[in-house]
Amino acid sequence: MLRHEVVVVGAGLAGQRAALAAVEAGRDVAIVTKLHPLRSHSGAAQGGINAAVGAEDSVDTHIYDTVKGSDYLGDQDAIEFFCREAGPTVVEMEHFGTIFSRSEDGSLARRAFGGAGFPRTIYAADRTGLALLQGLWERLGTERFTVYEEWDLTRVVVRDGRVQGIVALDRKRGDFQEVAAKSVIIATGPAGRIYGRTTNAHSCTGDGVAVAYHAGAFLKDMEFVQFHPTALLESGILITEGARGEGGILKNATGERFMARYAPHVLDLASRDVVSRAIVTEVLEGRGFTGPYGGYVHLELMHLGKEKVESRLQEICDYCRLFAGIDPVTDPIPVYPAQHYMMGGVGTNIRGETNVPGLYSAGEAACVSIHGANRLGGNSLLETLVFGKEAGKAAAAYSERAPATVLHETDLDSATASFRSWLSRSDGEDPSALRTELQQTMDRYVGIYRTEADLMEGLRRVRAVKERFSRVRVVDQSKVFNLNLTDAIETEHLIDLAEVIVVGAYARTESRGAHSRSDYPKRDDAHWMKHTLAQRTPTGPNLSYSPVGFTRWEPKERVY
Amino acid sequence: MPTDTISAPFDIYRYRPGKDAAPRYQRFTLELTPHTPVLTALLKIRAEIDPSLGLRYSCRSAICGSCAMQINSKSRLACETHIGPEVERHGRIVVEPMRNQPVLRDLVVDQSPFWREYDKIEPHLKLDPRHPMPEGKATSMSPAQVDRFKETPRCIACAACYSACPAVEADPAFPGPMALAKLYRFVVDPRDTATQDRLVRIQPNGLWLCLRCHLCTEACPKDVRPSERIRDLKEMAIAAQGGTELGSRHAIGFKENLKGGGLLNEMKLVRATSGLAGMAGQVGQGIRVWRKKPEIMKRPRTIEGMDEVEKIYAALDPPPKEEP
Amino acid sequence: MRIAYYPGCVAQESGKELDMATRWVCRALGIELVEFPNFSCCGSGFVDEANEVLNIAINARNLAIAEKAGLDILTICSTCQGMLTLAKVRMQDPKVKARVDGALKPLGIEYKGTVQVKHLLRVLTQDIGLPAVKAKVRRPLQGMKVGAFYGCHLLRPADEMGSESAEEPHSFEDLLTAVGATPVDYRGRVMCCGFPIQFVKPSTASAIAGRQILDAKAHGADAMATPCPLCHLSLDAYQNKAAKEVHAPLDMPVFHLPQVVGLAFGASPEELGLSRHLVPTDAALAKVRSPASA
Repeated sequence: MLRHEVVVVGAGLAGQRAALAAVEAGRDVAIVTKLHPLRSHSGAAQGGINAAVGAEDSVDTHIYDTVKGSDYLGDQDAIEFFCREAGPTVVEMEHFGTIFSRSEDGSLARRAFGGAGFPRTIYAADRTGLALLQGLWERLGTERFTVYEEWDLTRVVVRDGRVQGIVALDRKRGDFQEVAAKSVIIATGPAGRIYGRTTNAHSCTGDGVAVAYHAGAFLKDMEFVQFHPTALLESGILITEGARGEGGILKNATGERFMARYAPHVLDLASRDVVSRAIVTEVLEGRGFTGPYGGYVHLELMHLGKEKVESRLQEICDYCRLFAGIDPVTDPIPVYPAQHYMMGGVGTNIRGETNVPGLYSAGEAACVSIHGANRLGGNSLLETLVFGKEAGKAAAAYSERAPATVLHETDLDSATASFRSWLSRSDGEDPSALRTELQQTMDRYVGIYRTEADLMEGLRRVRAVKERFSRVRVVDQSKVFNLNLTDAIETEHLIDLAEVIVVGAYARTESRGAHSRSDYPKRDDAHWMKHTLAQRTPTGPNLSYSPVGFTRWEPKERVY
Repeated sequence: MPTDTISAPFDIYRYRPGKDAAPRYQRFTLELTPHTPVLTALLKIRAEIDPSLGLRYSCRSAICGSCAMQINSKSRLACETHIGPEVERHGRIVVEPMRNQPVLRDLVVDQSPFWREYDKIEPHLKLDPRHPMPEGKATSMSPAQVDRFKETPRCIACAACYSACPAVEADPAFPGPMALAKLYRFVVDPRDTATQDRLVRIQPNGLWLCLRCHLCTEACPKDVRPSERIRDLKEMAIAAQGGTELGSRHAIGFKENLKGGGLLNEMKLVRATSGLAGMAGQVGQGIRVWRKKPEIMKRPRTIEGMDEVEKIYAALDPPPKEEP
Repeated sequence: MRIAYYPGCVAQESGKELDMATRWVCRALGIELVEFPNFSCCGSGFVDEANEVLNIAINARNLAIAEKAGLDILTICSTCQGMLTLAKVRMQDPKVKARVDGALKPLGIEYKGTVQVKHLLRVLTQDIGLPAVKAKVRRPLQGMKVGAFYGCHLLRPADEMGSESAEEPHSFEDLLTAVGATPVDYRGRVMCCGFPIQFVKPSTASAIAGRQILDAKAHGADAMATPCPLCHLSLDAYQNKAAKEVHAPLDMPVFHLPQVVGLAFGASPEELGLSRHLVPTDAALAKVRSPASA
C-alpha cells in the first residue's frame, strides 16, 4: 500500500506551498493532483498579489481594506495575520525565482486594484499567477517528494475520529488507489464549474471541498460566491481587474462611465461585487448592449495607448484577439460578470486545521475566513501562499505526533463500490447532461441577484439533478484515461457543493458582500454577523453558525 | 460576434494502445460558428456524441498548456485554434495527438520525455551561499535585466514546440526547444549564480543539435521564440567557453573563415571544424562529391572591399559590451 | 528589370549549376543581373550563432552595397534570403542599428533600410508574375511530379521573413503548375533538410534529410526541387548518406528551382548543369511527356 506522512491534494500555489512547508519540516510528502502542477488554475490568475510594503502604504491600511472589502464578515484576527505575512511572502517568492515586473528603480512594480486604498498589487505583466506558479514549482523541484499526477480524489478516509488516508482514481492506469496518510491537506481550488458562466477552468470542480464535506468537515460561508465583473462575453474568460487598475473604463450603451453613479469615489476600481452588480443593473435596466450572447457593457482601453496596453496587458490583448475577435488597442471589450471565486470552502482556522483531526485545507478550497463576504483582487494569490505554508507546517507537526494510520482493503472496496455500479449499468443518466442541467440551474437561480422564490426553485432543481445522479451511467468501459468516469466523479462533487450553496443562500436573509438578496437588500448585522457552517447529513446539508472574529474595526456601511 | 454556422467535418485520431489493433480516424461533422475554438468542438463531441474521446484540457484560455495537439498537422493549442480558417483552407479538421511523445489514448500523450528534458537543465535558481539574497527584501532587478528574459517567462510548457521539432524527432540527444529556452531563462537571470556552469554543460548536451529551422518559434502559442533564444545560448556558450564541440568549432570556424577572403572556403572550414583526423573520416564522401563538383577543393576569390570586412570584424568581433 | 545579383558562396563554387540555371532563366525573362564583386558571404546562419551583431553588420554592408546602387537584391538561396532579411529586420531596432552603424559609419557605409531582398521564387511568382512565366514555357513539364522543398530560412520565422505563410506556402507549387509540372503535397515540403548539423552530427542530419525524401517519395514525387543550394547539397550530394540512415533506397533526383523553370523554357540539361548532380536526373526527365525542344 502507498503510504506517506502528509498527502497534499491539489498542486496549485496553495498545494505546492503546503508541500514545501511539510518537506522542510522533514516529513514524507506526496502531492496528489488531477493536472500536472504547472497546469493548475493558479496559473490563470492575472493581475497580481497584494503586499503593503511601500513607504506611503501600511499593513494596517491593507488590513482595513480587506476587512471593509469582506463587508465585515472576515475574521479580523486572521486578516491581521494574513496582511502581516504579505510582505515576507512576496519577498520569499521573489527569492524563489519568480520574475516580477519592475519599476525603473529596480524594485517590485505595483498597480492599483479594486477596493484598495493604495496601489499595493505586485504583478508580473498580466500573468502573475503563472509567474508565481513557475517560481514555486522550480523551488519545490529541488526537494524530495512524490507526485501522483492525474489522479482524481474520490475520498478521504476517516476512522477513529481522524484521517487515515485517501482514495483516488489513477487516470493513466484506470485503477483506484488508496494512499495511507496521517494528514491530508485539501488544496484543490474552486468549484466554479457549478456555474455555466464562469472564469474557472474546466478542472475546477471542487473535488477536495466535496470530499472533505463527505468526510465530515464543515464547509463555511459557501453562499458567498464572487462574480468577476469583467469576463469576456460568450467564453467567460477573465479580463483582469488590472485592466481597470491601468486605467481601463467601463461604459454602457449610452457611452456613460456608469460606475460614477455606483461608486462616486473610486469609480471603476470599486470592489468586485459592487462593479458586478452595477453591470447587471445597467443591463437589466436597458442601458446595456444586446446581442445573441446576452447583454453586456464595454471595457475600454483604447485611450491608454498602444504601447501601454501591449506591454502591461499583453495577455489581455491576446485573449481579446483570440477569444473575442477584437483588438483592445482599437476596440472596446464586450464584458459581463461571470462566477469567479468562492469565498466559501472547507472551514479552517489560521493554521489550516479543520474540524476533522488530520484534515487541513488552504487556498481557495478553504475558508479561514479572510475574504468574508467578498474578496479583494490580489488577496487570493496571497492567500494561497500564506495559508498553504501554515497548513503545511501544521499538517507536518500533526503527522510527526500522530499514530500510525489504519487503512484496510475494504476501505478501497467500499469507497469504489458506487463507481463500479456506474460502470456496470446498462441504462442510466448521462453525467454531462446532468452537469449542464446543474450549471443552467445555478446560472439562472443562484446568480448575482437572489430571491427567495428563485432560490427555492434552484434548490428544487438541484435536488432533482441529485436524485437523477443516483442513476448515473458511465458508458466508456476503458481503463486508461476514462474521462467519462472522471466526468461523473466531478459531477457528483459539483452537485453536492451546489446544494450547500443554495441552502446557505436561501437561509441568509440579508445582502452582504457578494451575496445579494433582492428581497433583503440591506446588510443585517444584528441577525447575520456570523459565518454559515454546513455539515453533511444523508438528507442534505445541516446549517449552523459561528461568530466572526473582531479585533479593531467596528462594522460600518460599506461605500466606495 | 457572428452567429451563422458552417458545417465542420472533424477527422479525429482514435487509439487505445494495447486494446486497439491500430489507430483509426473517426469522422464527426458539427454545425458551428467559424470562430468556435477546436477545443469547444471536441468538448461538444464528448458531451453530446462520444464521451470516450480522450484529450487533455483545462483553462480553455491558452494559459494552462493542456490542450496542445496537432490540428491539420500543426502542433498548437486547441483552445485558440478556430475552426473557420481550418475548414476554409483544408476542407476538414484533422485532429491528432502531438508528436514525439508516446500516445496514451487518442489525443492524450505521455509527456515524460518532455518533462525529463526540462528537469535535466536544472530549472531552479542556483544560489551561492557566499552571496545570499538580500535579507527581508526583494532583489533589485532593473527593467533592462527584466528585458533580457525576452519572452521566455511566457512559456506554458504546452510542448507544441517539442512536438514540432524535427531534431527531437530524429535524435534523443536533443533536449528540445522548451528545455533550452528555459535554460536561457536561467542563464540570463541575474539572481542565478551558475551561468558559466550552465553554458559549459549544455555544449556537449545537445545545444548544437538545434537545426535553427524555427519550427518551434512558429508552433509556440505564447511567442517565446525558442529558436532565437537557442541562438543566444550558442553565442553565450562560445563566449563562455570557446569552441569545445563540433558545433561551436564550426560556428567559430565559419566566422574566422570569412576573414580569409569574404567568401566561404569550404575545405578550410571542414578542417577548422573537424580537424585533420575528422577530415580523414570524410575523405570518402569528399571524393565522391569532388568528382562531380571539383570546386569544393578550390580556394574562392577574395571579394573587393575586403578591407571593409576586416575593419567590421575588428570593430565587432568580439562584440563590444552593450550599454546597460 | 534590373536587380543586384547575390548568388551566395555555394552557387559560385560547388553549386555552380544553380548559377548557370539562374543566369539562363533570367536571360530568358529579361532580368538584368547586376553583379557586385564586393558582396561577401551572408554567414549562412553559422556566423549568426557565433556573433550576432557581427553577422548583422556584415549583411548590412551587403544591403548597403545594393542600396547605394539603387537596386533591390535577388537571392537564389533560401539561407542567404533568410540571413539578409534577418539583418534587415534587426536593423529596424534603433539600438541594433546604432551598434552596427558604429562599425559601418567610419567606413563610409550606412544601410538606410530601403532595400528589398527577393528570392528568385518571389521574383518569378510576383514581380514577373506567373502568366509571364507561363508564356515563356516551350516544353511544359507534364507528367513530372515534383515535390517542392522550400528550405527553412525562406519561410521562418514567418513574421520576420514576411514572404508568405510559413505553414501553408504555395508559391513554389504555383510555379511548378505554371511550368506544367504536377506539384506533390507532402508534410516534408516545409520541414528541415538537416544541413546545419551536418558537421555536428551527420547521422542525425542525414536521417532528417532521408525522412523528407521518403515522404516526398511516398506521395508519388518523381523529383524534388529546392530554392536552396544548401538543401540541395543535403538532399542530393549527401543523398547516399540519407539513404543509409533511413535504411531505404531513395533514388530521388533533386532540381534547383531555376533548373525546373529552365527545362520548361527549353534549356538543355547541359545548359542547366544537370550532370553535376550526384543523383542522376534522367529518370525524372523521362517522365515528361512533351518532347525536348530541338
